[in-house]
Amino acid sequence: MAMYGLIDGNSFYCSCEQAFDPALRDKPVVVLSNNDGCVIARSALAKAVGIKMGDPWHLIRRRPELSQVVAKSSNYSHYGDLSRRVFEILGTHVQRLEPYSIDETFLDLSPVSGDLIDFCQMLRGMVRQIAKIPTCVGIGPTKTIAKMANKIAKSHSELNGVCDLRDEAARAALYQDFRIGEVWGIGGKAAERLAGSGIRTVADFLRLDPRKVRDMMSVVGARVQAELRGVSCLSLSLMAPQRKGIAVTRSFGMPITDWGTMREAVASYATRAGEKLREHGLLASTMTVLLHTNPHNGDPWYSNQRSARIEATNDTTSLIGEAIRMLEPMWRAGFRYSKAGIMLGELIDVGSQPVSLFPTKDPVRSARAMAALDVVNARFGRDTLRPLATGISRSWTAKAMNLSPHYTTRIGEILVGTAY
Amino acid sequence: MSFAGSFNGGNTTGFASPAADSLEGPIDLAEILDLRHANRYPVRVSGEALIERGILPGDILIADAAAPPAHGKVAIVMVHGEVLVAQLAYRGGEWWLRPGRMGDVGQVVPDDAEIWAIVSGLVRTSV
Repeated sequence: MAMYGLIDGNSFYCSCEQAFDPALRDKPVVVLSNNDGCVIARSALAKAVGIKMGDPWHLIRRRPELSQVVAKSSNYSHYGDLSRRVFEILGTHVQRLEPYSIDETFLDLSPVSGDLIDFCQMLRGMVRQIAKIPTCVGIGPTKTIAKMANKIAKSHSELNGVCDLRDEAARAALYQDFRIGEVWGIGGKAAERLAGSGIRTVADFLRLDPRKVRDMMSVVGARVQAELRGVSCLSLSLMAPQRKGIAVTRSFGMPITDWGTMREAVASYATRAGEKLREHGLLASTMTVLLHTNPHNGDPWYSNQRSARIEATNDTTSLIGEAIRMLEPMWRAGFRYSKAGIMLGELIDVGSQPVSLFPTKDPVRSARAMAALDVVNARFGRDTLRPLATGISRSWTAKAMNLSPHYTTRIGEILVGTAY
Repeated sequence: MSFAGSFNGGNTTGFASPAADSLEGPIDLAEILDLRHANRYPVRVSGEALIERGILPGDILIADAAAPPAHGKVAIVMVHGEVLVAQLAYRGGEWWLRPGRMGDVGQVVPDDAEIWAIVSGLVRTSV
């Protein structure tokens, strides 16, 4: 019989920060979004002092009763490396697993013999000891139930981090009070519509005729209903689906008012987009470039975007050239630009591109130059080698006032220990 | 056309290299130190207290988070908000940190401290 587990890191980003910085362990810690804008992760203590997800940092900072809260800028290379470690540890004990998000992994627990709860506690112990991340595990006969069990494990400390919903009677009791809007796969809109028909709990939802559910919420809703009944409809996805598009859009650390700086910013987004393409072995055949001012701060509003078909490529210099060509006619002096971005579409695998009669680049030389660029950056850190077009001072980069070191990915920033 | 780095000792243009069938490539220290493994972390040493143990300031320690603590091993310990590199001792059912310098008294590892990883190797990039 199918049996799934969902293991996820408690306050994952905060735990990553606390793992390497013992001075943060007894403090309320939050991690901020790009540009140090809003709270995107809270440690248990930060939740306890009443900080909510999405709270703007500039407001929290002004509240004297929250002066002990430590805010960290998001350090995604660090979180990504610890996520890799968590996945690797799990992979030594579980054969089939799905990396669902940076901090959540679905496990196929059906081959586990012996006590399943003991097994999950062992997994938690290994992840805690080696990757330094505290976790919770939910167990159930379907992914949807495992996800629900995980949520319960998080909010009920007496469960000691593992919630087991294998038992149908236990589920039925739980379903009486569990709100349908909290279920994985039921969005806010669907929950509202259901509430309109008087359906608030999972028990209410399961009493609905499946045909009615299909009419109200399409096949997705019907699938959630079956999964909640214990009929597994969603299997593990062992491979990430192929990407349909790649977007690199960022808000600037401070508004951009001059062409040279805007050009640098967009060139650097094109550079990052090129890296992403090559990472996935893809070429892009369309490009969209956009820019706009901030609609919320009273600045005059200006927004523009252009899309074009480009010669299929993943060469950074070609991407920069195309992006700047599209950006130039959209530039209007006198505005305070807050954001720009690049989106690449119609992605195709390297090698499957149509042969071009008049290629503007020698594909072999381009591939070699890009491979060299990627190798240097992989070895010495992101942006070690980058096109001059992306600028030298880079005044537009996002604010990251309290960024922790890249503890495990840059040799100059590794953890420092004092000899005792 | 060839560029620096593409010659591996075997792909000669004139005389066939007698080494062509025996190439082994350079030694990969990351592999020897097992750095790609999830349980391995690099830690930089600051301070001179462990010189007698052969651990100098600036050394890069390879710490193994999966290894169990053992008497006499050097460990990375997180205690009172600090990251310490310390020698472990097991006395009277408790873990102690044994100072590297003679004369200093040791301390018990308190309950809220964490023996974070055990040092398994060391890299010194300049001697």
